[in-house]
Amino acid sequence: MRSLSYVRARTVREATQAFATAGEGARYIAGGTTLYDLMKLGVEHPAHLIDIASLDGADRIDTGGDVLFFGAGALMADVAEDDVVRHDYPILAESLSKAASQQLRNMATVGGNILQRTRCPYFRNGAIGAYPCNKREPGSGCAAIGGLDRSQAVLGISDTCTAVSPGDWPVALTAMDATIEIQGPAGPRSVPIAEFYRLPGGTPHLEFSIEGGEIVTGISVPKTEAGKNSTYLKVRDRESYAFALASAAVALAMDGDRVRRAHIALGGVATRPWRAHEAETLLNGQTIDREIALAAGRSAFADASAGEHNAFKIELGARTLADAIMTAGRKTQ
Amino acid sequence: MSGPHDRQSIEITRRQVLEAGTIVTMSGMLPVAAEAQTSSSQLPPENGSTVQVSFQINGQPSTLEIDARASLLDMLRERLGLVGAKKGCDHGQCGACTVHIDGRRVASCLTVAAKVDGRKVTTIEGIGSADALHPMQQAFIDHDALQCGYCTPGQIMAAIACVKEGHASTPEDIREYMSGNICRCGAYVGIVASIEQAAPQIERG
Amino acid sequence: MTQKRTVDRPRIDAHEKVLGRALYAADQPIPGLLHAMTVPATIVTGRIEAIDLTAAMNVQGVVRVFTHEDFSQIKTTPASRGAYGQPGKGYQPMTGPVVRHRGEPVVLVVAETLEAAIEGAEAVKVRYADEAFSAAMEDDRAGREPEPESELSTGDAEAAFASANHRIDVEYLHPQQHHNPIELISTTAAFEDGELRIYEGTQAAAAFAGGLAGMMGLDPTQLRGVSPYTGGGFGQKNGIQEQSVLVASAAALLNRPVKLVMPRNQLFHTASYRPRSRHRVRLGADEQGRLLAGLYETVQQNSRYDGFGCEHGANPPRMYGYGSWLGSDRVVRVDTQTPGHQRAPHEHPSSFATECAMDELAEAVGMDPVELRLANDTQNDPITGKPFSSRHLADCLRRGAKLVDWSRRMREPRALVAENGDLIGLGVACGSYKGSMTPAVTRLRLFASGRCEIATSGHEMGQGIRNVIAAELTDVLGIDPENLEIRIGDTGHAPQHLTAGSWGTGSAAPAARSAAMKLREELGLLTGSALSEEPVHVQLARTRRPLLEVTVDTIPLGKDGQAIEQLRRGIPSTTGPEYPEFMAFSWIAHFAEVRVETSTGRVRVRRVVSVVDCGRVMNRRTAQSQVQGGVVWGIGAALREAGETDPRFGGVLNNDLAEYVLPVNADIGAIDVDFIDQPDFKLNISGVKGLGEVAMVGASAAVVNAVYNATGRRVRHLPIRIEDLL
Repeated sequence: MRSLSYVRARTVREATQAFATAGEGARYIAGGTTLYDLMKLGVEHPAHLIDIASLDGADRIDTGGDVLFFGAGALMADVAEDDVVRHDYPILAESLSKAASQQLRNMATVGGNILQRTRCPYFRNGAIGAYPCNKREPGSGCAAIGGLDRSQAVLGISDTCTAVSPGDWPVALTAMDATIEIQGPAGPRSVPIAEFYRLPGGTPHLEFSIEGGEIVTGISVPKTEAGKNSTYLKVRDRESYAFALASAAVALAMDGDRVRRAHIALGGVATRPWRAHEAETLLNGQTIDREIALAAGRSAFADASAGEHNAFKIELGARTLADAIMTAGRKTQ
Repeated sequence: MSGPHDRQSIEITRRQVLEAGTIVTMSGMLPVAAEAQTSSSQLPPENGSTVQVSFQINGQPSTLEIDARASLLDMLRERLGLVGAKKGCDHGQCGACTVHIDGRRVASCLTVAAKVDGRKVTTIEGIGSADALHPMQQAFIDHDALQCGYCTPGQIMAAIACVKEGHASTPEDIREYMSGNICRCGAYVGIVASIEQAAPQIERG
Repeated sequence: MTQKRTVDRPRIDAHEKVLGRALYAADQPIPGLLHAMTVPATIVTGRIEAIDLTAAMNVQGVVRVFTHEDFSQIKTTPASRGAYGQPGKGYQPMTGPVVRHRGEPVVLVVAETLEAAIEGAEAVKVRYADEAFSAAMEDDRAGREPEPESELSTGDAEAAFASANHRIDVEYLHPQQHHNPIELISTTAAFEDGELRIYEGTQAAAAFAGGLAGMMGLDPTQLRGVSPYTGGGFGQKNGIQEQSVLVASAAALLNRPVKLVMPRNQLFHTASYRPRSRHRVRLGADEQGRLLAGLYETVQQNSRYDGFGCEHGANPPRMYGYGSWLGSDRVVRVDTQTPGHQRAPHEHPSSFATECAMDELAEAVGMDPVELRLANDTQNDPITGKPFSSRHLADCLRRGAKLVDWSRRMREPRALVAENGDLIGLGVACGSYKGSMTPAVTRLRLFASGRCEIATSGHEMGQGIRNVIAAELTDVLGIDPENLEIRIGDTGHAPQHLTAGSWGTGSAAPAARSAAMKLREELGLLTGSALSEEPVHVQLARTRRPLLEVTVDTIPLGKDGQAIEQLRRGIPSTTGPEYPEFMAFSWIAHFAEVRVETSTGRVRVRRVVSVVDCGRVMNRRTAQSQVQGGVVWGIGAALREAGETDPRFGGVLNNDLAEYVLPVNADIGAIDVDFIDQPDFKLNISGVKGLGEVAMVGASAAVVNAVYNATGRRVRHLPIRIEDLL
């Protein structure tokens, strides 16, 4: 890690100005659980850190208005424990409380978490491995393709990158049609979460639709009755403190015993938080049973493509989604 | 083989015996914090860009000029001589470095030291004392919730926070909310039992 | 005097540990300490063509950058990493311009601060000429040793197998595993009081006096190895590490104290690990399930240069009354760092293979797996014909079956279903571990003040060796542990043995007990009343002496005084399992109850019951912890852990604690431990056998057998992962 400067900004304006002044090598840091980790691994090399964790009002959680609003600086632990979120939107609360550990959730912010970078071991092993990785070093190749690909994605992959989008919270937000609030030198803008995450395509190093100097300031989630009938199911290699092999975020808006509108997104299996439109369409208008749930699960993976060791994710992902649909379905009764 | 017959006998009084005993006990209780004070007065030079950090450490105000890239863990261990928090992974993956910032548990290895400016940091050195253990520390002894002891400071800091957060009402809850602290010796059964024992004696925060 | 049974005392160092005051190697307050960081090799095999140090030297705070040119005088000796005591084996990186495994240190940067050392290390540029390599034992270029490492046989096993009524012929695969003690391996070298002190959390402080001196060309008296507390060892800290001599040499060349805490991702490459192995097991039994034949062939991955043995075949033939046996262990060499002893090094993988095969045999014969084991119980070793010093394995099985309520187990898989639809499975497996001992030199001093000091051989790494020592002193002398100072793990106080192989208690307990008895005897001579009930220090004070000191050498059964000489020179000198009159083993039976989620294949170990025959139990509280820990290791091995190597790149890809999946708290349910607690006085005066490793042996097999009972799936590799049960 190279020597660097550190300043703490109090306002968004102060932060963006500091960013502009610092010039090349400037990076915002919030909780630091991703950035500082990658700095220690020699993957990220900022020269200037602008701390935006304590911007005035950035940790605001407002569930009283028309939308749920989460200031980007709100801690993952605090949003997970918020009463309204817990009772009316378990999909959101569970996606947060099943991520990382309580220590990290006390550090990481909900804004920073949506910018978390992949856990692909070829990407993270910058120092010892110096493995080819198009994300870390564009044009160097992808060592994961044809390699130990058990944890790699089966949806949204390209021939340059199969790295999994690692988050849980972004998956729940994707299911719930969240909007990302961004401020930059050119002023504020809002980006629907569906447009926030990029597919790797030929440019896997470009992961988020956010420009240098811009700051994520908040996340809004439309209120919906589907929130109550929701869950986030995460299947991993151990019972806790691990990234998802497959996860499913499901929320169901009902008309009597029939699904009016299903909200479904998948994690652990795709290169970005994955909206499962096919599964949603299949469920809409239906009553929930195991058979339809599994059919929905399978439909979500119709276009999946596996490598040597990760084919199981296609079946596991389908069953995980089916289980989540059943859990959400039980909440409607 | 040497025995008592090789040694010269020295006349000693009962009083001397008692004094010797007292001195031994005193030196055995010399707190680690004393080391912290000596070594912090002879801090090594900082390299690279520095930043001034003022914070409370275990209730005492402290100000340091520190390398801006240093972690809170390395500040505690290498600058302040507070070596209770341990380095087990340096990437937030094991929990051995757990400390409290403003009463909340965090991984000090993934916390940039500069971030604690204006905050209150509590480490294991600020929990209990030799003759008045914190209920959680006593519970860890009672249930032998440790073996090598290396992860123990982090486990105890996490366990106290776990109770204060309200995540210690069932064994399942404890297991889940203590999963950020890996114990390779495998003392998990004892750790859960310790938290169940200590929880009623600790106020929710 | 009779030994106290089943005492339950608080761990003697727990107080210090819960206060965060136990100082581990990297915690020592040393003024003027410099920090070091290594540059890991990014190739597998090849030569270093050039090293550009310019940028590193320009990093503010960097004091010195060392390369192989600075360390070319360091000698590779039988004490070096990977040699395992054998001349011509082993490999010390940075003594020449070569690379023999990915991740080995190629440059050492020393700086005023840790941050500068890290920046300096990252700024070093190395140009390599890399060579072809083989990273997998299945690879064509892997080097297959022509001769087996070891062979054991009795009777005509091939013929007996051919004519058996029931036959099992199965192959099991055990993955590479990594110890990952939470204490990072570190080395601190400092000149203090005219000697070079090496602080390392090690199980072998003697290696840091004698061994390191040999590598550095110094007189052993100039070096002192200090291992105050070891933050978990499990076999990974049982000798000189790749970085140890580099740090010591850097401190000597700079004449300043230097500390290096190895990063976890490098430790996956520089420190030892349990190598990958394959096990073919053939079992033959008659109609009644009597074992007629066992045939067991194993292959283990080793590095090209190491002297690490392969002993998978040592324990399985001792488990049951096999009518005949044929076993062989072979080694395949690949381009990797040297493997080594990891908790129950061969006993765990071999118990996985053979105890799962027993489960398969039970099914083939149509017998209950507990009954099959009881039917083949033996009090004599089938290989040597010698009796066991003690064996209560049948009692372990019976008691465990009762505690876990084995009678509810259904013979047919998938027959027990929980309310939530999870499949319930019950599995059993047994284990053994050799009863070893090692010599010790003990100095015991009793002061009239009541204070008591003991300096002896041994290292505290969480197994509770301090408790064992204290327990014997308390037992014999009635000393208050509060007034007791135990000096171990320090060659400045007593010669140090390698503390491993579960011989710690079997060596430290008799050592402490002998010293205490000797002191009591001397005190009796002084006071003239050997049977006084008064506290010993009060008796001593009455003689007007300030202190009484005794020094005792303890030589284990079957050894002579030469063993003490070897101990003083830092050479391991252990006994067992074969003694002149008998064979000595600890024994264990594990029972596991698992729940398997049918949709996702997730396995949860609800409960494990383990019943142990380890001889006399020195401290029930710490012994129980040790067994629970062994079971957690067994669960980790069964369901979680595997070091993964991409054959194109070598090295370990999942080289951190997020990707190398260790069990966390949420993975562990109830672990109930019980002890037979029958002393084995044939082995030593304390009546103890080892515990730390037998605790793990068979635990994985019990889980795997339970998974079969739940699902009907025989998974013959570890770990069992979700994809195996989908």
